[in-house]
Amino acid sequence: MSRVRILGIGSPSGDDQAGWLTVDALAGCGVQGDHELAIEKLDRPGANLIFLLENADWVILVDAMQSGGQPGQIQHLDRNQWPAYQHGLSSHGLGVHGALSLAHELGSLPSRIDLYGIEIGPANPGEQVGAEIQAAAQQLARRIAADLAATLRQDERTCT
Amino acid sequence: MTERRSVVIHVPVLARVEGEGALDLRIEDGDIAELRLRIFEPPRFFEKFLEGRHYTEIPDMVARICGICPVAYQVTAAQALERLFGVELDPWAQAMRRVFYCGEWIQSHSLHIHLLAAPDFFGCSNAIELARIAPDAVRRGLRIQGLGNELMDLFGARSVHPVGVRVGGFHGAPSLARIRDMREKLRAALPEAEALIRWAAAIPMPQDDQAFVSVATQHPDVYAIEHGDIGASDGLRIGVDAFDEHFAEQHEPYSTALFSTYHQRPYLVGPLARLNLNHGHLPNPVQALITNIGYALPSRNLFHSLLARAVEILLALHEALRLLDGYRVPDSPWVPVTPRAGVATGCTEAPRGLLWHRYEMDDDGRVINARIVPPTSQNQARIEEDLRLSLLNFGLDHPDDALRLHCEKVIRNYDPCISCATHFLRLNVERA
Repeated sequence: MSRVRILGIGSPSGDDQAGWLTVDALAGCGVQGDHELAIEKLDRPGANLIFLLENADWVILVDAMQSGGQPGQIQHLDRNQWPAYQHGLSSHGLGVHGALSLAHELGSLPSRIDLYGIEIGPANPGEQVGAEIQAAAQQLARRIAADLAATLRQDERTCT
Repeated sequence: MTERRSVVIHVPVLARVEGEGALDLRIEDGDIAELRLRIFEPPRFFEKFLEGRHYTEIPDMVARICGICPVAYQVTAAQALERLFGVELDPWAQAMRRVFYCGEWIQSHSLHIHLLAAPDFFGCSNAIELARIAPDAVRRGLRIQGLGNELMDLFGARSVHPVGVRVGGFHGAPSLARIRDMREKLRAALPEAEALIRWAAAIPMPQDDQAFVSVATQHPDVYAIEHGDIGASDGLRIGVDAFDEHFAEQHEPYSTALFSTYHQRPYLVGPLARLNLNHGHLPNPVQALITNIGYALPSRNLFHSLLARAVEILLALHEALRLLDGYRVPDSPWVPVTPRAGVATGCTEAPRGLLWHRYEMDDDGRVINARIVPPTSQNQARIEEDLRLSLLNFGLDHPDDALRLHCEKVIRNYDPCISCATHFLRLNVERA
């Protein structure tokens, strides 16, 4: 049985809730399967993200991103697409990529890690989440649920 | 004719300092003509937000000031209000406040040592590079930090912006089984913290002897953390209420943060100031270890701050273990509170140093006005003074990059938390 951890990262600022909405949608559609599954919503976890990568076989991370694309666009970021670490470290501001890079150096990354980004526009406190972001979160939740189900079927075939 | 050269450098680092800050350095004829630690982070008006709020809301609101040291803000606010309301905490709650606080020291100190400060001394620009050359040390640091988080979570329900403290005690009490589990983890961490101290003591540090006044809370019986009087290395010993008689905050036009002075002079708060004043109260095993490594206290070298943090981690582990020995689940984790009007003051030792709160309350237990003096603003004038002395000691003829790095190292000794935001230090050097 795989130990799977799904982490939605965000903050209460408008579209920056994209990761939270995705894991809410996943939890809502009852993705439990036979995985040992943990779903968590994280508010800018900083260095604490490293601890959440430990003792898992498969970690799925969903975060908002700003790359100049169309809001609502979903990207699966391969490891070679993880942006190079550029901004130094801060106890408050260690970003997802900083935490992943540090975990990588320490050999703490799980054997499978999927990093998804949902493109957002400017995100400001107190704003509502845009309709395109809500739709993208639903779509990504379905994609992750399908991935989990497919992997489960594969595991069952392997077992038999 | 001497050529007058002017150099301006913008360095888009350094996020290993908390908050929006910049350093302006102008060197003329081989001397420092101007040195300013400029804080341009917009003020956050927390004190204003608190006005009109009921006392029951204050611990949770002030916890939001800092994601790294929320316990310090909660416990200081609760202590201030409990003093005003005449609340006598249950001995269980008194002890567990200290344990809760130990968790924060362990977490914050380990984070600062490994992710923020240590890379400087290994020629690394960040912890990721440090992890390449010293992976075991970084792993150990993260384990210790994680344990601090767990201890905060145990009493606060979560480690970031915990919600466990209430005026009068705690909202809940952990079960005996969870405490047993925690005690095993704390005990297992003791050798790790001892190894951390030895590792930190072996890091070659610049020799930088400076005269400064150390200020920290002091307690007659224990190493002061969550309560005590205010003391200084010049012999001052005052009650928490008398803070304003000796310490002043003033505005400098180039900074959005207030500068603090003690009798019109800069002063130091934080782990090195605490160790300088309170090392006589370290538990015996911690005393023995620092004697063994030859750590002479009091120290006048701010570069000893990293080692001071390591020592306080071991202290916090011992304290938490001592206080959790014989743990019992109380009948009630809190005592009832009746608010009353008046002025409340409280003071504790946040990981970065002395934290002082003052609240004027009305009859209904609502805040009329609030004042919060955090450690970083108290250290700002000292940081500027330190930079000036340290740069002169280091030598101003070094290339700009070397000067910048030296300044950053000096600033990071203080672990400044200019605000709860990330950002960077720009160094502008002008030479004429």
